[in-house]
Amino acid sequence: MWSSSAGRLCQVVALAGVALVASSASAQQPAGGFAVERFEPSPAGAGWLVMDDLDMHGRLGGAMALTTSYARNPLQVSDGAQHLNLVSSQAFADFALSVTHSRWRVFLNIDAPLVVHGESGTVGNYQYSAPDVTLRSHPDTVADARLGAEARLYGQPGDHLRLGASAELVVPNGERSEYISDGTFRALLRALLAGDATSLSYAGQLGVHLRPLDDAPAPATAQGSELLFGAAAGAKLSVGSDNRWTLIVGPEIYGATALRSFFGSSTTALEGLLSARVEGTAPHGRQLRIKVGGGGGLHPDFGSPEWRVVLAIEVFNRDLYSAQVMPGTPN
Amino acid sequence: MVGRIAASSTTARAQAAPPAAHEDAAFDFMNLLAHQGLHNIDDESWNAYGQFTYISNWKLPFDALHTNLNGSPNSLLPTYERSFTGSFTLFFGLRLWKGGQFYLVPEVISEQPLSGLHGIGGAIQNFELQKQGSVRPQLYRSRTYLKQSFDFGGEPVRQTSDPMQLAAVASSRRLVLTVGNFSILDVFDKNSVSWDPRQTFLNMAFMTYASWDFPADARGYTYGVTGELYWDDWVVRVARILPPQDPNAATIDFRFWKFYGDEIEVEHDHVIRGRPGAVRLLGYRNRVDAGKFSDAIAAFQANPAENAAACDAAGLYSYNSQNAGAPDLCWVRQPNTKLGIGIDLEQHITPDIGMFFRGMYSDGQTEVYAFNSADRSVAVGAVAKGGAWSRPFDVAGLGVGMSWISATHAQYLAMGGVDGFIGDGFLRKAGEGIFEVFYSYNLARAIWLSGDYQELWNPGYNADRGPVEIVGARIHVEF
Repeated sequence: MWSSSAGRLCQVVALAGVALVASSASAQQPAGGFAVERFEPSPAGAGWLVMDDLDMHGRLGGAMALTTSYARNPLQVSDGAQHLNLVSSQAFADFALSVTHSRWRVFLNIDAPLVVHGESGTVGNYQYSAPDVTLRSHPDTVADARLGAEARLYGQPGDHLRLGASAELVVPNGERSEYISDGTFRALLRALLAGDATSLSYAGQLGVHLRPLDDAPAPATAQGSELLFGAAAGAKLSVGSDNRWTLIVGPEIYGATALRSFFGSSTTALEGLLSARVEGTAPHGRQLRIKVGGGGGLHPDFGSPEWRVVLAIEVFNRDLYSAQVMPGTPN
Repeated sequence: MVGRIAASSTTARAQAAPPAAHEDAAFDFMNLLAHQGLHNIDDESWNAYGQFTYISNWKLPFDALHTNLNGSPNSLLPTYERSFTGSFTLFFGLRLWKGGQFYLVPEVISEQPLSGLHGIGGAIQNFELQKQGSVRPQLYRSRTYLKQSFDFGGEPVRQTSDPMQLAAVASSRRLVLTVGNFSILDVFDKNSVSWDPRQTFLNMAFMTYASWDFPADARGYTYGVTGELYWDDWVVRVARILPPQDPNAATIDFRFWKFYGDEIEVEHDHVIRGRPGAVRLLGYRNRVDAGKFSDAIAAFQANPAENAAACDAAGLYSYNSQNAGAPDLCWVRQPNTKLGIGIDLEQHITPDIGMFFRGMYSDGQTEVYAFNSADRSVAVGAVAKGGAWSRPFDVAGLGVGMSWISATHAQYLAMGGVDGFIGDGFLRKAGEGIFEVFYSYNLARAIWLSGDYQELWNPGYNADRGPVEIVGARIHVEF
């Protein structure tokens, strides 16, 4: 009799347990994708990999750039017990174009994903589906496009201090599930700083990323609008006997933190790149600039990778003669 | 752009079709810079062009004895339908070094086809339509490629500033290599009379050979390498390009040595009574993972369980037919070869009128892999610009085309089978015909408004359906 009751009790407990597990499983929420990439190349012709040298000058000019980057583990999610490399590999080719006139620049950056993939799984109460983008499966996909304008508000090319501002509209394209887009329009507003001394260049930025997408409290998701920040400094060296080339070597540090959780550990991305660029110094005509960078997340989370490598090639127009004849431009 | 239709054979040339040369006198960004003294439009280190085109088609109700019979899903619906495409394109070109050029062409497209892009064989009414397109505008990278020229002398040839062509003086004897992501129509079948649906005819039957099953993804672009040897009046072109992984799919198969499309074209340019013309012979060979119609029929006859409705359950790539009494290509896909040969003629008979002819014969043994269902096709037509009636930038055109399918293709369709585009569940075989007439009115230097009428006979090669009347309108802007 007892054993029969005990057996029935065990069955009830087991069924309750199954029901509980089933209930728990059904409570898992799917986590949404977003634009993970934190490396947003500077406008074509803007010098640094991420920062902006505010060097616009002269008559109508322009630049074209191709920047390729690879990032390892830019988006990880963990609750202590479970760990997921949600986006483990991410490579993009960024095509950039800009038109400059006097102290103004308008620019367009188009990001084409080459590889974006990772591992799917469950962490805590959230179910994550990894992206699976390759050139084979997405032969012509373009991620969000960035269209912007900037102006140098103070200083001239070559000055110790130049100040400027930029506004950028991010036009959504591509799928959220592929972690290449928020699926919404976004905007970036930045105050820019740059300067040159005989053997030193520097640049910085402080801004806000107006991001409507907010999937909090789910971890490893978009968390709404963000503060943007960054700084760079580099030593300038002349290359070649006739000083036809300049080499600039130095670090660039940049990041973002969600306004809802200012500098929170899981809502802040901070990344550093050691960058080097070689650029032509001729006063007129078309110039070539080659840029390389390597580094990784100083705080590898929220889109900052464990490590990243970058290679860029840029063609830009330099017309210092025109700059010199512009009113207010020092010889 | 339209104005040069009858004049140029050295210009570069949308969906899969490249853009036509721009009109020298047009208002556009490059001309504006040149007129301000800010750009050398005869010897360019870069250029940038753009275009916007909106095309709307209205299909009137038509008679059909059967539609989507027994679960075969690929009929053109006999009810009234509207279709549209809207495209916005930017063309960027950059000279990298001597002979080296880089091109980037981002494009946004929004579209809605007739009947889900089903039911028409070789005469789809708007060549801008892409497979797997959507009403929601999509930005994509249509072309990214490098071009390298090696000059071997001869006469100087002026290349004008155009979308996907930097102005320069080239040699009449040169080798041009192109590597990257492009449409094969950027290089091959560059008939200067009729090739761009944004400016001349809308129907694909007049844009290139309807039965040329050239490899491409669902948008009409691919990756590959081409070589062009120009030797005065002769041009020889060869290419190896990549097919989609599955028929008519978006994914590209990058196994360059296993699956591919090989193309060869020989062109001779001539002048008859002072008017330019050209003759082109084109051959192609596709090595792709495709099904043969005869194999699909044999598989079904040997085992009726291998029918069209069972493909999904077996996990096989198919066109979603629910016809359990029909064969399907899904059961028999394996590496197969498809061959075809074609001829293209163009001849200008007055300074303002050009005529064209295209004819192609494909073997018709294997399914359509990337373009459309036609196995054989001819098209003839004329395009005139309006100089004769004092509107030099207006364009008018008239064309007639026919396409056919092979006997085994017809037997497969008659049994209820479907391919990528057609399959009514039953077939009474006939040739599919198309007649199109259009007039393009130049509203301003860079804006054209067009009216278009098409009549389509035996849609989907089915004598029990049609004829179909389709009315169209287009606005085209260049800058």
